[in-house]
Amino acid sequence: MTTDRPETTSRRSMVARLSATFAGAAFLAACGAEAEPAKAPAAPTAAAKAEPTKAPAAAPPTAPAPAATGAVAITGPFEGEAKTLTGAGATFPAALYSKYFNEYNKLTKVEVNYQSIGSGGGIKAISDQTADFGATDSPMTDAQLKEAKGGEILHIPMALGAVVATYNIPGLETTKLKFTGETLAAIFLGTITKWNDPKIAADNAGVKLPAEDIVSIHRSDGSGTSFVFTDYLSAVSAEWKTKVGASTTVNWPGGVGGKGNEGVAGEVKQTPFSIGYVELIYAVQNKLGVGLIKNKAGQFVEPNLAGVTGAAAAAAGKVAPDLRVSIVDQDGAATYPISSFTWILAYKQMTDAAKATALTRLLWWGTHEAQKFNGDLGYAPLPAEIVTKGEAMIKSITGAGKPAFPGK
Amino acid sequence: MADPSTLSFKVSPVSPLAPDRRYVARKFYGRFMAGLITVAALVGVSVLWIILGYVIVRGAPAINLDFFTQRPLPYGEVGGGIAPSITGTLLILAVAALIGVPVGLGCGIYLAEYGRGSVVEVIRFCSDLLAGLPSIVVGVFVWAILVRQVVGNFSGIAGAVSLAIIMVPIIVRTVEAVLLLVPYTLREAALALGVPKWRMVISVVLPSARAGIITGLVLSVARAGGETAPLLLTTLGNQFFSWNLLEPIGAIPIQLYNYAVAPYPDWHTKAWGSALVLISVIGILSTAVRVATRRQNR
Repeated sequence: MTTDRPETTSRRSMVARLSATFAGAAFLAACGAEAEPAKAPAAPTAAAKAEPTKAPAAAPPTAPAPAATGAVAITGPFEGEAKTLTGAGATFPAALYSKYFNEYNKLTKVEVNYQSIGSGGGIKAISDQTADFGATDSPMTDAQLKEAKGGEILHIPMALGAVVATYNIPGLETTKLKFTGETLAAIFLGTITKWNDPKIAADNAGVKLPAEDIVSIHRSDGSGTSFVFTDYLSAVSAEWKTKVGASTTVNWPGGVGGKGNEGVAGEVKQTPFSIGYVELIYAVQNKLGVGLIKNKAGQFVEPNLAGVTGAAAAAAGKVAPDLRVSIVDQDGAATYPISSFTWILAYKQMTDAAKATALTRLLWWGTHEAQKFNGDLGYAPLPAEIVTKGEAMIKSITGAGKPAFPGK
Repeated sequence: MADPSTLSFKVSPVSPLAPDRRYVARKFYGRFMAGLITVAALVGVSVLWIILGYVIVRGAPAINLDFFTQRPLPYGEVGGGIAPSITGTLLILAVAALIGVPVGLGCGIYLAEYGRGSVVEVIRFCSDLLAGLPSIVVGVFVWAILVRQVVGNFSGIAGAVSLAIIMVPIIVRTVEAVLLLVPYTLREAALALGVPKWRMVISVVLPSARAGIITGLVLSVARAGGETAPLLLTTLGNQFFSWNLLEPIGAIPIQLYNYAVAPYPDWHTKAWGSALVLISVIGILSTAVRVATRRQNR
C-alpha cells in the first residue's frame, strides 16, 4: 500500500490502465492524486470511507472465529483479495520465498512479487511503505520501528536458518573441524592468526593443522547474516561484545570482504587457508568445509535442521510477545548455536483492505502449509509454539480498520 | 637562427628529397604509427564482435520457446523464462519514450531554431551535464521523489521517468546537431514563401533532418534499454506479468542481474540468454527504425 488513503485495487488498476492508454495527461493526473501526504494511520473515518468501495475483504467481525488451528487452511482464491502483492528484503530466505510464492500463485492466483534487495533494503521499503511487506533476518531496532511511516510493524517468523563457519584448508577438505565460540571470535578479531594455534588444536585432537596464516572473510555489505554471526560472537565472547558488537554492518577488525552470501562462499572457495561465514545452503551448494560449533551444553554440533529447530524450541519459552528474538547460543544438547529466524515485516493496521486480506492469507499459508517446503531448501520449519504466536499476530492485522484475515 | 642569405651555402649538395637516413627513419616511424592506429581500430571493432560472439555462444543454450513465453521459476529450479521482463522492458521503454521524446525533441528544436546567445550556451551546458550524470544518481533522485513521495511505491512509471531523464540529453544533442546541418537556404526559401517560422520548422527543417533525428531517438532508446541501476531503485522488478504502471514491473536488465548473482549454473545460462535477448531487442528496434526511415527518404 502506498499512501494512507483507502483505495481498492480495482480502482487502482483502472487508473493504471487509463494511464497506460493515455500515458500523458491521464497519468499525471493520477500521480497528482497519489501525491497526497500520508495522513494519520487508519482513523475510523478512513474505515468508514472505504466501506462503500467494492472490497468485501474482511470477514464480518461477528463471524465465528475458527477454533482449531488445523481447521483453517488456505485452499484457493478468495473473493475480494488483492491479486498482487509486492515484497522486498532479505536475500537469505529468497530461495525459500520464491518457492513459496510460486506455489502460492498456483494455489490462489495471487501474484506475490518478491525482490531480494537485502535485509536493510527490506526494512527501508516497509518503513517507507514502498512495498506491501518487507523481509529481514535481523529484527528491526526500536529506533527503526519508530521511524516507520504506517504505524506498528509486526515481525512474523517464516522459517529458521543456520549460519555456518565455512573454511578452505587444502588437505583437510573432508575433515570437520571443531570450533568454540571463543576461538571463532578470536579468529575474526585477529588474535588467533595461525591454523595450528593451540586453541584450535585443543578442540581438534588428532587433526594435523597446517602452520599457515588464517585469512578471515566477512560480508562487505549490510547483511542479516552478519548480524546473526556477530550476535552469536557477542553472546559468547565478552571481548567481541565490547570491541565489535552485533550489527548488520560490522566494523571488522581485519580480514577480507565479500559481497553477499555467494560472494563470501566464492572467496572462501578461492582462498586457501581461509574461513568465512555463510547461510548453510551456500556452504552446501558450494561443497565447502563446514565446522562443528560448541553449543551452550558443551557439545560440538553440526549445523543441520534439527539443531536449528532445537534452538528455536529452546528459545520459544522466552520469546518476546513481538517475536523479535535472537536465538543464538540456546540451551539443549543438540542445539546448533548460530541459528536465526527470518521474518516478514507487515503493518498491523493496513489501509488497503484487499491487500490486507491477501497478505494475511499469504502469511497464514506461509506459516502453515508452506512449511513443508523448508527442509528441502535448507531451512528449518517453525516450531509449533512460534506458529501459534504467529497466528495471533496474523489475526491482529486489520485492513481499513477491520480484521483482515477471513479465516480461510 | 642563421641569416637566410647565408643559409643556402650550408645546404648539402645532395638533393633535399633524396632518401637519407633520417628520411627512412621518418618513413618507418610514420608507417609504424599508422600500423598502431590500424591495430587500435581493429581492436575497437573486434571487442564488439568478441562480446557479441561470447554472448551468443553462452546465451544460445538458454534460448527456447519457454524462455520467451514463461515466467521465472523459483530458485534453483531448471526451466522457466523471462517473458514478464521482455514485456516489462518494452512497456517501460515505450512510456519513457512518450515522456522523453517530446521534451528532448522540443529542447533540441529550441536550441537549433529559436535560442539566442547565452541562453543556448546555458541550456546546452546543462543538457551536457545531464548526459554526464551517472544513471544511479538519476535512479536515486527518482526513488526519493516518485517512489517515496508521489507514487508511494516501487512502480513502472518511476522507472520510465528515470529512463526518460537519461534519454532527454541524448535526444537534445543529436537533434540540435542534425538540425544545424540543414542548409540555411532551405529555411530562407520557406520563409520567402511567407510561411510562419513554426510552419517552416515542422514542414521543412524536421523532414529534411528526419533520418538524423530518428538515429538520435534510437540511440537514446538503446541507451535507456540497457540501464539497470535506475530500474533496480525504481521499478524493483517483478517475476509476474504486470501492465500496471503504478506497481513494480519486470525488466530484462534486472532479471539478468538476478540470474547472474545466483549460485545456480542454469540461472547463469539464463543470465547470458537474457543478455542476448536484451541486445537483440535493442538491435531489432534500431534496425527496424532505420530501415523504415530509409525507405521513407527515398
